[in-house]
Amino acid sequence: MNGIYLSRLTVSAKVFCTLFLIGIGLGALAAFAQAFTAVGLSLEEVQSSLAPQMPMMEMGHGQMSAEKEIDIGQISSTAKVWIRTPLLIQTSHTHLFGQTLIAGLLGLIFLFSSLGEWKKAVILSLPFVGTIIDIGGMWLTRFVWPQSAVLVLIGGSLFALGYLLITMISLYELWIRKEAFA
Amino acid sequence: MKGKVVRRVGGAMIVFVLAASAALAHITPPVVLVSDREAVVGLLQGARKFFVREVRLSAEDRQIIQKQWQWNADEEFYRFYLGRDDQGRLVGAMIFLTEFTIHGPVRVAVGISPDGKIGGATVVELTEETYPWLKPLIDHDFMKDFVGRDSRGNFAMGTRHVGAHENMALFYGQVVATLIQRGAILFETAIVKRGGAA
Repeated sequence: MNGIYLSRLTVSAKVFCTLFLIGIGLGALAAFAQAFTAVGLSLEEVQSSLAPQMPMMEMGHGQMSAEKEIDIGQISSTAKVWIRTPLLIQTSHTHLFGQTLIAGLLGLIFLFSSLGEWKKAVILSLPFVGTIIDIGGMWLTRFVWPQSAVLVLIGGSLFALGYLLITMISLYELWIRKEAFA
Repeated sequence: MKGKVVRRVGGAMIVFVLAASAALAHITPPVVLVSDREAVVGLLQGARKFFVREVRLSAEDRQIIQKQWQWNADEEFYRFYLGRDDQGRLVGAMIFLTEFTIHGPVRVAVGISPDGKIGGATVVELTEETYPWLKPLIDHDFMKDFVGRDSRGNFAMGTRHVGAHENMALFYGQVVATLIQRGAILFETAIVKRGGAA
């Protein structure tokens, strides 16, 4: 890009990019651990955290109450977070800002990669697209269709894939690749 | 030319980092203190069988609650967990109730005895921001103050806490106390008055 490539950056710029990429990677690991402990990573766990609280019994029109016996094992024994709408709004605004800014910085570094324009465009789009699918999936799960929880997993995976590709290619070009460009 | 581009890119990066920090600073992760099952078992001690009763409030119920307690009970339905003994007699009921505050949700499990009096309560979930405020009160077992009170009882924070804790602690203590009272209100309205407390 404009004759500037990652492999041609000054040492201080290379150190800056490297530390940023590592920092974001550690942050992503912490976020992954938090998602695992607070919500869970299976489709069922994501769904149960995001889907609206549904009645356990069918109540007919005009019926004011219903009761049934349950096994105590039917009540969740894990301390998991149920994400209600106000928390979903909070999560959406912080994550849309935060992840988009992270995706922006990752993309900014990756713009100076020597890959072809189309490959670069596709790879740097992944974290952005992943974020939108991730947060969009949360809202769809909550208000449209509980099965949309799969989008949350897909979105998160796309973000992670984008980060990994950007980081691996960038680090390679920053520190290993040596050839000159036209 | 090259130096100019590098300076611009560097400037853009700094702006991004500062903006990202500001955005991420808003996150207040939830803190879950007990699981739902722990709360149900803990508050329905002595129960041999467990039941779920889901109740709807009529427009009249909502009106009475609003008039008497100044609370808009606007959930579509409320879920009680009931504990019964071997003979099927009601040992107690419990309900999870949540208040959404500016610093995140506070979720409380409220145990109610068959006569409509508070049997116990436990904070189930709050946030990293609100937990340090409420922890001293939780450590002082402040929810015990409300045991034995019914929906018409006094659910203001006791004098032993006023002055002993900071304002935010007292504010969130009152949020919890109000949720405990709401548990009693709902039990009285949707179960006792409908003859379901046997």
